[in-house]
Amino acid sequence: MTLPVASNDPSCHCPLLDTKQGSESTVVAIACGDSEACRLRALGLYEGATISVIGKRHCLLVDVSGTRLALGSDLATGITVQPRAATAP
Amino acid sequence: MNAPAAPARLGHDRPLRVAIIGNPNTGKTTLFNALTGLRQRVGNFAGVTVERVEGAFTLGDGRRVTILDLPGSYSLTVGSPDEQIALEVLLKRDASHWDPDVVLVVVDAVHLDRNLFFASQVCELGLPVVIALNQIDVAKSQGITIDIPELIHELGVPVIPTVASRGEGLAPLRNALFTAAALPAPTSRFAIDASAETSLARHKWIGEVVERTVTRRARSLDTPSDRVDAIALHRVGGPLLFLVIMALVFQAVFSWAAPLQDAIESLVLAIGHRVGEVLPEGDLRSLVVDGVFAGVGSVLVFLPQIAILFGFIGLLEQSGYMARAAFLMDGLMRRVGLHGKSFIPMLSGYACAVPGIMATRTIEDPKDRLATILVVPLMSCSARLPVYTLLIGTFIPALPLIPGLDLQGATMLLMYLLGTVTALAIAALFRKTLLRGPVRPMILELPPYRWPAPQSLLVSVWQRCQVFLRRAGTVILSLSIVLWALATYPRAPADATRTAEQQQEAQLVHSALGRFGKAIEPAVAPLGYDWKIGVSIVASFAAREVFVSTMGTIYGVGGEDDAALADRLRTETDSSGAPVYTPLIAVGLMVFYVYALMCMSTIAVTVREAGGGRIGWRWATIQFVYMLALAYAAAWLVLVIGRALGFS
Repeated sequence: MTLPVASNDPSCHCPLLDTKQGSESTVVAIACGDSEACRLRALGLYEGATISVIGKRHCLLVDVSGTRLALGSDLATGITVQPRAATAP
Repeated sequence: MNAPAAPARLGHDRPLRVAIIGNPNTGKTTLFNALTGLRQRVGNFAGVTVERVEGAFTLGDGRRVTILDLPGSYSLTVGSPDEQIALEVLLKRDASHWDPDVVLVVVDAVHLDRNLFFASQVCELGLPVVIALNQIDVAKSQGITIDIPELIHELGVPVIPTVASRGEGLAPLRNALFTAAALPAPTSRFAIDASAETSLARHKWIGEVVERTVTRRARSLDTPSDRVDAIALHRVGGPLLFLVIMALVFQAVFSWAAPLQDAIESLVLAIGHRVGEVLPEGDLRSLVVDGVFAGVGSVLVFLPQIAILFGFIGLLEQSGYMARAAFLMDGLMRRVGLHGKSFIPMLSGYACAVPGIMATRTIEDPKDRLATILVVPLMSCSARLPVYTLLIGTFIPALPLIPGLDLQGATMLLMYLLGTVTALAIAALFRKTLLRGPVRPMILELPPYRWPAPQSLLVSVWQRCQVFLRRAGTVILSLSIVLWALATYPRAPADATRTAEQQQEAQLVHSALGRFGKAIEPAVAPLGYDWKIGVSIVASFAAREVFVSTMGTIYGVGGEDDAALADRLRTETDSSGAPVYTPLIAVGLMVFYVYALMCMSTIAVTVREAGGGRIGWRWATIQFVYMLALAYAAAWLVLVIGRALGFS
């Protein structure tokens, strides 16, 4: 039950920090320290996971499979995502 | 009948050893409490379980089980010190050789996919595993259905649904622990390493398992928790709410406690008086009334404040607000080079530096962690309250400033602010010098809000009160007796021409305590203190609240209702007739106590948490010396600047 992806074109990829509040994306790549990446994957934020941005402050509030996480903006810059188009009816 | 012989004996010859582990916020500690009946603090903030807690229970047929509560962990491959402790035990490398027979993994049914990541890692350690599928009621209420037989089939380990908060599912769980001990360990699917490939393969497998076992309604991004967060994490409203909550906590600690404190004080006075009447006049009566009742009684009155403070901290942890507070404080913390997570240890430091320093274990970066450990004791802990309360109540007039705040309250607030601001400044200083390095990016789980469980809240408050009472009953009681003896012997020759008060004064000067005080007087004289204050400061190294009991013992008050310590201090004069304690001296003394690390327990815990052995002692020494230097310099500055401004 995957949602339709807007495009597989890498030009659609952007840092998580640049996605709109309330938008849903697929994680493409995680570029940060090894231990942070490891921690993120353990929390359910892994390559291929669906991530929603709930709020933006000095850090980012996101949802990954029902878990609410606060991510530092430096970290959110290093996470590349592919935004999804609106759900097809 | 044909069960293997060795495991069948487990529980009879020696207790079955069970290690309980799980992601933070799964209700692991609640389940632990429900199984063993031994209560401990239950929190909602990631990683509240930093103390090693072992419990035990016996089955109806006499088989025994001991359970070790391991720190909440997200993964076996990334190491916060907390998670490393858990891993050491699971790998049977624990220093105490507590090797588990069975691992009980607590899994949150609501967040099964994320929890399975960790649970499946544990399944690969080669130990028998039982999974408790906890909060199954919450999962049902959110429209999540889990096919448990299918899940058992997929994972190859027993899975028992539980509702720890209501004690449901405990009997089958207890039995499953014994059954599992006789079963072979589950088969290993993946290597336990930190590589992205393994993680992704694991997630892919979990996705398939969840696909086959879980049916659910679509997830909502507008849960009740999200609606609370819309206010609690609001750009303007969030910090405002945070300030209101903090103000409420402080107000409660200082005003709600007052009637209870008065009650305890009158009770101790009454008992002391009654006991004094029974005992014959002489040294024994003096020991009991002036030593024991005056010393311990003057500390016991702070029990209500400690109970209220820990009650609020427990409430904030359990409800899930503590993680939000860390989130809100992250911006500020980052500016001084600390992590948002450093806020929790610092807040705990308001209650006591010991749990505060232990709470730093959830901070992954060693430099972040050390910087936090070094500054936590600057947060004014509950042991300083007796000192502040005594000095403020005695020397600071209750001039109304604004409605709801008088000069006394403002002074108290100022002392707390002074400690907090200094802690932030010193942290920044350490992060720029000895502990230079980048700040780790923020990764923080915001658990769903929960109604606190009143019972476990009461238990956690009672636990903290017990620790305090134990201290009052041991350290402070024995110090009170020692101090009484030092102040009483050797006896000064009786002189009939002196008044009772003069005789008491002469006795004090003649005593061992008086001689020691006179010897160290030159060291405290620049701060404007006499030898009595010097003695009290030295004695308070055991614990700060001892300052008050020492003063109580020195002046022999507390056992008599007509001469309270406060009155005695106010009227105390030196040889020239000038008052010893002026408001300026009192403020200087308070500032000294804001900064000075007068606490043996804190030093001991710093040594252990900063790395133990020589490294631990090195950091503990740095901490003690910088705080003492700060205290001395600040108290001196208060005196010098105060006098220059014309205060006395």
